[in-house]
Amino acid sequence: MSAAHEPFAELAAGYALGALDPRDAAAFERHLAERCAECEESLRAYREALARVAADEREAPPPHVRAALLGRIAPAPPLRRSRPVRLVVAWAATAALAAGIAAVVTASAVGARYEARIAAIAREADALRAELAVQTRTVADLQRKVDEQDHALTMVRAESAEQARTLALLGDPATRVVTLAGAKPSPNAQGRMLWNPQAGGLFVAAALPPAPAGKIYELWAIAAGKPRAAGTFSVDPDGRGRVRVEPIAGVAAVDVFAVTLEPEPGGTSPTGEIYLASKEA
Amino acid sequence: MRSPGIDLIRRMAGGDRDGFAAFYDAYASLAFGVLRRMLPPEEAAEALQDVFWELWRAAGDYDPSRGSPEAWVTVRARSRGIDRVRSVRRREEVFVVAESADDASVDPSFEDRDTVRGALASLPEPQREVLELAYWKGLTQSEIAARLGQPLGTVKTRMRLGMDKLRGLIGVSS
Repeated sequence: MSAAHEPFAELAAGYALGALDPRDAAAFERHLAERCAECEESLRAYREALARVAADEREAPPPHVRAALLGRIAPAPPLRRSRPVRLVVAWAATAALAAGIAAVVTASAVGARYEARIAAIAREADALRAELAVQTRTVADLQRKVDEQDHALTMVRAESAEQARTLALLGDPATRVVTLAGAKPSPNAQGRMLWNPQAGGLFVAAALPPAPAGKIYELWAIAAGKPRAAGTFSVDPDGRGRVRVEPIAGVAAVDVFAVTLEPEPGGTSPTGEIYLASKEA
Repeated sequence: MRSPGIDLIRRMAGGDRDGFAAFYDAYASLAFGVLRRMLPPEEAAEALQDVFWELWRAAGDYDPSRGSPEAWVTVRARSRGIDRVRSVRRREEVFVVAESADDASVDPSFEDRDTVRGALASLPEPQREVLELAYWKGLTQSEIAARLGQPLGTVKTRMRLGMDKLRGLIGVSS
């Protein structure tokens, strides 16, 4: 082993592992290009050793990979890498002759150069493909974040629209405020109804007991002795609840608003006990 | 001993799809094992497809005097694995600055893959550590030096000693 060779003997191990830093890798490749038999042999032996390490890790791949590959190669014969190279070489030689240029470059040298270029292009394409896979994932992540923000925005918009409706309701002279008082099961409960026969209304309740499982509070608008379902609501741990009420078709004046506890999901006529009720208007 | 893989590669070079299928059946688990050590399952499967597609296309260039089919497959699998590991790492450096490096290294899909098997297990710990960081994590020598807090020269020496030992251990003579 020559002294000049020695540093490359060390680089060969790192090169076989693909672990050389770019400058060392380039230096070693230049050395290999000079056809150093010792390094070629070390590299060969190291690669066999690494293949044996890999053999300790064997793992069956998922079946779809095989199917995808066989599907991919079914239709046409494979594009031999060496064949287009030969075509390129033949073309280059023809072109050189046609132009009357002395063919100082041997076909094999041209071939080797194209081989190397094609290999380099293939490597770049692979790196780009890997990069693309990563970017595709990044894009998917960003898309998910955008979707989340979109959702949050929709919620904020809905809330804001709700507040705008409430303000409009309060500003309308036709709106009146109806107070509901707690009935027997919940004497401390309170309710307020902002009611506008054209625009509908907003009902809020406070200090109601939590609804038992399977039950829900339902608001009724009683007109001409007939109760109409005006919406259902649940209450938070402080007994607060709210429900937006749509205008009731064909009803000009509501006499009484009342809240009962009904089996979920609420019904079209009251069956349960009254928890809140307004005085007759 | 002549590997049956050599004949299969020759058939692949002639465009023989059945030859390719047989070659895949014989060598896919070898390549996939390597890729799974380096990558999460889905990405390993994608890379495996790339690797065998390349092998199919490059079959005409295979030269048995330069290495066994096992080495041919392993080199290709490692190279695609390293490409992916490194491009993921570059991306993470750009996008995931907030996360600590430790979070990235404890990907749960790697949990069951920490066992040291076979030839690597018999190396002295400092050499094994260096080889594993290169082999399974795709780290370069200077990245390994930085991670271990060791001088670059030490890492290079350990890598060579480890590789020489490995080569001796598994009876690959020159």
